[in-house]
Amino acid sequence: MSSTVQQRPLPVPDAQSAGYWNAASRHELALARCGQCHMFAHPPGAVCCACGSIEPAFEWMKLSGKGRIRSWSVVRQALLPGFADLVPYVTVDVELEEQPNLRIIGRLLDGIEAPLVPGAPVAVCFEDIAPDVAVPAFRLAAG
Amino acid sequence: MSAFPARNKAALAGFAQSPVQRHAPMTLGAITIATVREAVADAGLEVSEIDGLITTPLFPSLGSHAAEDGIALVTTNWLAQRMGIVPVYQENPQGQLPGAVAMAVNAIHAGAAKNVVVYRALHNPGGSYHQNDAPKASGRDQWVMPQGHHGPIAAIALAWNEYAQRYGAGEDALAPIAIEARKNGARLPWSYWKDKPLALEQYLAAPFINDPIRMFDCDIPVDGAAAFVITSAERARDMPHRPVYISAYSDILPRRFGLAHHWPYDEIMELGALGLERLCQRAEIRLSDIDHSQIYDGFSPLSLFWIELLGLAPRGEAHRFIAQGGIDSDSPDGKAVLASGGSLGNGRMHGTPQMIECYLQLARRAGERQRDVKLALACQGVPNMGGSVLYSADAY
Ligand SMILES: [Zn+2]
Repeated sequence: MSSTVQQRPLPVPDAQSAGYWNAASRHELALARCGQCHMFAHPPGAVCCACGSIEPAFEWMKLSGKGRIRSWSVVRQALLPGFADLVPYVTVDVELEEQPNLRIIGRLLDGIEAPLVPGAPVAVCFEDIAPDVAVPAFRLAAG
Repeated sequence: MSAFPARNKAALAGFAQSPVQRHAPMTLGAITIATVREAVADAGLEVSEIDGLITTPLFPSLGSHAAEDGIALVTTNWLAQRMGIVPVYQENPQGQLPGAVAMAVNAIHAGAAKNVVVYRALHNPGGSYHQNDAPKASGRDQWVMPQGHHGPIAAIALAWNEYAQRYGAGEDALAPIAIEARKNGARLPWSYWKDKPLALEQYLAAPFINDPIRMFDCDIPVDGAAAFVITSAERARDMPHRPVYISAYSDILPRRFGLAHHWPYDEIMELGALGLERLCQRAEIRLSDIDHSQIYDGFSPLSLFWIELLGLAPRGEAHRFIAQGGIDSDSPDGKAVLASGGSLGNGRMHGTPQMIECYLQLARRAGERQRDVKLALACQGVPNMGGSVLYSADAY
């Protein structure tokens, strides 16, 4: 692991995010699902925005990691530490297959020349950026 | 009674705009004091007659810069102390300029203040505006920053590309926005881009920042301040300039909770449309009644979104509309929606160019640019986060 990669901003897990980062460290994508209405919330807030519950009892559910590209961009300026050696890179706005409009943003690791179209299928993958810290990213997937 | 009791009960009585500079030799606080004094004098008032101060003090940098009062931003408390004003009403809302105007209207209509100065002061801290050196990402940032997504340019790039892919807008689709804004800004005496219009070749030669957003699709950070005097319609009629009545506003809307720096295109349009619907209900007008809409352009895609929300082009068609000269202010058939020069043509002034253009036209103070208009709209920000204010030459 290069020193540059280690300098990427590290997440600070808290009560509302620990499940996400614990799963990511095992290379699994888990998102919070409301225990009342069973809708996913990303990010999970203080209450459930889908059903309004103030006691949403969010559960961490492992997802397939499959989704489709809603949009993308090529990042050419590194505004964050640790990304200077990675620009230019692609970020994708992905709608996950488990729920309409369940969106997650991450890097697409297929390079900036990868042919992209709206709706292209992607699958989650993980970047190990520090010991026990992995960050969800994506790769183009078949059909 | 009108659906909106405050309709046309408050009016703009004067304004001032400082020179817009990349790095001003004076502090932002000093610039703001000079600009407020000038606006007060423009309205024919003394500083001692000002009893209300409202600003949106936001210093919109996500970078590692100190947000020092009087330097990077100017709160009403800071200003009141330095100007010897003891306001009976002061507010520093977190939102955008339409919210500040709304508060002034409400305060005046309620009798809470008589003569309110609304101002907006913006600072360029130098260095990279949004660069963030934080080694850790906590709270909302942790869902996007470790993933490599940060800042408003990244946000607008995703929103714009979703539009572009859906509606077939090409790589050069935004060029007419930047070029039109710079053309009009080049004609303004205070603009950072005075006498510096933008040629298509320059636009295309500039680098992409976040594809498909190029450098000149983004407003340039500046030092500058603008100030407006808002008073009651009755008092305004006894002041030196023709009053410009504030007919209605639509302030910031409740956004959906979501990821930081994620501005989903569909949400922008859905909530933007709701905001304009609300404004029209309050003003008791239709969008087609507005003679002179001034759209926001801090990032050029926002102008396309506003054009479609205002009904000047059908949904998904604004990129064709602007390519065919639809917004050319010099054409008799063009909709001069960027006559203000906007943020792209003045510098990052967060909605004050649009408000100034509405004011000058309706007060008949626009000089060579004067148009025969009676109802003007100033649009601000990303449509789901900004807002709009309707101004009228008549207290209808
Ligand atoms: Zn729920």
